[in-house]
Amino acid sequence: MNRRPAADGRYRIYFHGRRISQLIFLALFIFLFIRTDYTGSDQLEYIVNIIFRLDPFLAAVTMLAAKTVIALMLPALLVLMLALVAGRSFCGWFCPLGTLLDGCRHALPTDRGGTRTLYPRLGRVLLLAALLLAFFGFHIAGYLDPFSILVRGLAQSVYPASHGVIESFFTFTYTQAPAFVNAVTEPVYGWLRSEVLPAERKFFELVYLSAFILLLVVLGEVVQKRFFCRNICPLGAMFGMVSRRGLLKTRGGSEICGKCRICSSLCRMGAIDEERAVDMARCNLCIECAVACPRQVISFGFGGASPQPAHAGLSRRHFLGVLAAGIVLPAVKGADVLAKSDDPLLIRPPGALPEKEFLGRCVRCAECMQVCIGNALQPALFEGGLDGVFTPMLVARTGYCEFNCTLCGQACPTGAIRQLSLEEKHRAVIGNAWFDKDRCLPYAKAVPCMVCEEHCPTPEKAIRFAEVEVTGAAGVVVSIKQPYVVDELCIGCGICENKCPLPGRSAVLVTSANEERDPTKKLPDPYSLGYG
Amino acid sequence: MDRRRFLQKAVALTAGAGMPVPLVNITKALAAAPAPEVSMVTGVPYEAAVRRALSMLGGMGAFVGEGSRVVIKPNIGWDRSPELGANTHPLVVRALAEMALEAGAAEVKVFDRTCNERRRCYVNSGIQSALEEMDDGRVRLEHIDDRKFVEVDIKRGKSLKRWQIYKDALDADCYINVPVAKNHGLSRLTLGLKNSMGVIGGNRGSLHFDIGQKLADLATVLQPTLTVVDATRMLLANGPQGGRLSDVKVADTIIATRDPVAADALATTLFGLRPEDIGSTVAAFSMGLGEMNVDAMRIKKGRV
Repeated sequence: MNRRPAADGRYRIYFHGRRISQLIFLALFIFLFIRTDYTGSDQLEYIVNIIFRLDPFLAAVTMLAAKTVIALMLPALLVLMLALVAGRSFCGWFCPLGTLLDGCRHALPTDRGGTRTLYPRLGRVLLLAALLLAFFGFHIAGYLDPFSILVRGLAQSVYPASHGVIESFFTFTYTQAPAFVNAVTEPVYGWLRSEVLPAERKFFELVYLSAFILLLVVLGEVVQKRFFCRNICPLGAMFGMVSRRGLLKTRGGSEICGKCRICSSLCRMGAIDEERAVDMARCNLCIECAVACPRQVISFGFGGASPQPAHAGLSRRHFLGVLAAGIVLPAVKGADVLAKSDDPLLIRPPGALPEKEFLGRCVRCAECMQVCIGNALQPALFEGGLDGVFTPMLVARTGYCEFNCTLCGQACPTGAIRQLSLEEKHRAVIGNAWFDKDRCLPYAKAVPCMVCEEHCPTPEKAIRFAEVEVTGAAGVVVSIKQPYVVDELCIGCGICENKCPLPGRSAVLVTSANEERDPTKKLPDPYSLGYG
Repeated sequence: MDRRRFLQKAVALTAGAGMPVPLVNITKALAAAPAPEVSMVTGVPYEAAVRRALSMLGGMGAFVGEGSRVVIKPNIGWDRSPELGANTHPLVVRALAEMALEAGAAEVKVFDRTCNERRRCYVNSGIQSALEEMDDGRVRLEHIDDRKFVEVDIKRGKSLKRWQIYKDALDADCYINVPVAKNHGLSRLTLGLKNSMGVIGGNRGSLHFDIGQKLADLATVLQPTLTVVDATRMLLANGPQGGRLSDVKVADTIIATRDPVAADALATTLFGLRPEDIGSTVAAFSMGLGEMNVDAMRIKKGRV
């Protein structure tokens, strides 16, 4: 092809610069993701939640839901400014999900000629809907946001699944392979264990759902390049709305252009139309067209307005539809039985805001679950309502809340879980334990056991025991220690339920009763009632 | 292998072969023969107290041979700082590691299967930093590796017949058990025999039924070369993890002996209790695993 070398060289550098930038930010993202972990200090070492705090979509959603300015989310403003100056470069140069999709595309049969974006308005409709619904108290943003989808998919399925595979492999080499193999594999496994993998295997509910959603986003590449980014991503739509009015312009095909349409057939964002005009609301500055253009007529710059392609605006019907959803969904939610009496097994992490505010601020990003060293936090399904899917809840039989750990509040990007000091954490009541005396061994079988009391972490134990004489199974009177809960001391950490040695269901269980964020759940104080 | 151990093993083996030997009575009689040596040293610094206690038993060289693989098993079960008395004191652990190296150990492994999150326990117990400060590649604080639990038949076990035990603990040339002396809701105290639960796999909670006998059964296959009881701080209430300084008594005491039962029995008296109050001590004594009568021990007391 006949290329003009000067311009070619400049855009070639941008083109490779973009690729390098993508790789660097993907690597940085993965590094921070893995380091979202306890490292020997009570404080997290890295600002692991930064990616969510740079997300103007989530910033707008959480602030609309909270109806206040959330300082934690202010860095997102800077990123929105970037769009004003440099278009949707965030999508093309920095977004880790975008990079992942660009990478996966090479392994998938992709429609490489697909130029027409299938649902050009959908991203903006979803953006509007998410904002409006957030204002009226119904959350959908976390199910659409690219980072939420990515981190959730990684944290709840890809990472723990990889851990399992790695562990199986090195267990096989350790038990089956000869010594010379182990001389190589054991140091590798040791390094993986100390630097890459969590200290212990983690297990998650909704593991299939998290994986499936991420997989769907990746498989969208089969339909068209950057399917998710073009058709769904509300963050991308937001950037697009700013970019269209931004300073950076692109000059596309012109009168002298040979109308070869290589540019539009290459464009991963479907930003170039039949007339070779480039839509800045869509272009993510991948620079591929500028490099490939045989006559080098495509250029980027701050001056000179170029013809913008006809922009598909939202119709009145769209607005009405969104408005209707914004009114109907919250109204239906208000009739959910959960609005009257909530699920007693919905135990929120320590420092969680009152439920309504919590649901508004939580962006379903799974950072808290990723950082939870006890594997205690699990994604909820419908325990918190239809829009509570993927919000964190304590499932004590799987894992318990470590008494001296405050990491979830530090990892939360939006303050849905407040950062607690260690002293505050020690007193933070998230629930209350109770004994199932039909199963608890000292009660039900007159068999001694005291594992719950042993593990109860409050300095003055919330589980104590009474020594009583009972008639055992063989009709013999035995002296036995029977445990009981002191409500004023129990913080609901769930270690008792977790460590109860009974197979299957624990004989000591935690519910959200007495949780401090809801005064109506206060348990009666036996002392004030005169029973104590 | 000393005479007593040889005889114990010989009896165990013949019993295993089906000989109708009245096992308990004979081992008890044999074990009673040489009164166990127990040293008890009070004072600070803890390193000096540990060294004094060992020197009274003939020095670490009596337990650790040239080139041997040593395992030190402290209690690192809880996410608690040293002064709260829930874990073995880091200076006691470090003193033992240093002495093992001086006696010619090729490697010293330190580990515990923790109750709280494993990294938090290693860090907050102070043991990780104490051993890192030694800066010696031969001393390794390792996290439990689940692949290393092996099924072990407990032939003499009465209540516990088979359980998973950590391979490194079984394979060690010298296994040093370093419990911290403290209160425990169920077994009243947790000492050396209970500390062995930190090297076993499986659902440990299920051992709490008939725990005294089960700990004694475990002691038949997991026999420490040396037991050093850390009673520098004694957690008197809200054990075994405590959390309040007001529950901790500073006793600055170290007990060392080859006899695992004698170690527990003597440490029990520090709490004002009698050895027969502790189920595991009684069970282990009746199985001939050691001496529980304080009067029948050769107790050497010292101060630093």
